[in-house]
Amino acid sequence: MDVVEIISHHILDHDWGVTLGGFRLPITTHTVTLFAVSLVLLFGLHWISLGRKSRTGRLLTTLSEEYVAFIRDGMVLPNMGEEGRRFLPYFCTLFLFVLFCALAGLIPNVKTATSNISVTAALALCSGGLILYCGLKFHGFIGFLKGFVPSGTPGWLVPLLFPLEVLSLIIKVCVLAIRLFANMLSGHMVLICLLLIIFIVGQMHIAAGAGAFLPAMALELFMTCLELLVAFLQAYVFTLLTSIFAGSVIHTH
Amino acid sequence: MENLLKPDYGVLVLTICNFLLLVYLLKKFAWNRIIGGLEQREKQIADDKQQAQDARAAAETLKRELDEKLAQISDEASKKMAEAVKLGETQKEQILAAAKEQSERLLEQAKTQIEAEKNKALADVRGEIARTAVLAASKVVQQQMSEESAQHVVDRVLQEIKAK
Repeated sequence: MDVVEIISHHILDHDWGVTLGGFRLPITTHTVTLFAVSLVLLFGLHWISLGRKSRTGRLLTTLSEEYVAFIRDGMVLPNMGEEGRRFLPYFCTLFLFVLFCALAGLIPNVKTATSNISVTAALALCSGGLILYCGLKFHGFIGFLKGFVPSGTPGWLVPLLFPLEVLSLIIKVCVLAIRLFANMLSGHMVLICLLLIIFIVGQMHIAAGAGAFLPAMALELFMTCLELLVAFLQAYVFTLLTSIFAGSVIHTH
Repeated sequence: MENLLKPDYGVLVLTICNFLLLVYLLKKFAWNRIIGGLEQREKQIADDKQQAQDARAAAETLKRELDEKLAQISDEASKKMAEAVKLGETQKEQILAAAKEQSERLLEQAKTQIEAEKNKALADVRGEIARTAVLAASKVVQQQMSEESAQHVVDRVLQEIKAK
């Protein structure tokens, strides 16, 4: 049994090799998951927003409003101030998108799209773009650049500090991508490894494999619950950090 | 496994397009309505709260006014009660004084009347006694005394009676 091959099969993205006029279309298991999550969110939230009169409809409408209030009052307004109100749809979408991508991975035969560095990098780039837009929108180009240097910094320190601050912003965006990717990937690797324990031990002796079944499944259940928690936690962290970084360029030193 | 950290630019671009399109579509078809509903609900709650606060303030003002009026009425009632008691006391004293005066007057009148009646009765008695005495004396001494002597005797008898 090639353990690495099995793990790779479950973790890595699979390109279905669709080409259109010589141009490769990136139709992969992860992108399909992304589309599916997007469609679910789009149709689900659109249906909720129509404000159905049924009991379920009213419940979901209230739930969605409470969710928006949570994002607005818990992340956007405290970190970005009133200026952040216009970006509320972005943050509401970001949280749900990251969350649903992670939750989708808990469904059998569905991949966790956010365990792909390209996907998390794309989300981090979108957040980076938002940070850049906020800086330019509220301070202008020169003002945005000035924001990298804290007020009261001695003149001779500026050439040293400015590149460091720019680098710091880039690293922040990169860290957004790597944190989400690493957390999602590690959780799934642990889940697969726990399952593999049964088969590896079973190859040694069938009775040992049967004995390892219950402990391995208990650990698997525990890790799945942990994954559920991590899904919410990572969505929260990604959205919160984006709002903090965007807020830091709106309200500079 | 080495492909794990190797970015797929096609997936990257597709994810960016997908996500930004999703943000746009959700904003257009869902978030605007949900956020609008939320803000409307919050506004309604704030309005209701404001109305409740206004109503409470109005009720408190009304209560304060009523309390002041009640206190004023209570003061007036106390004053009027005191005045009534005072008036009652005055009237009581007046009535008592008048009754006393009247009783004294009646007593005086009764005394005067009694005195007059007494004097009259005494005079009557005196006259009767005198007549009786004269009659008796005249009968006793009819044959021995003159009229002057008889009168003298009568007077002496009367003085003795008076002295008694």
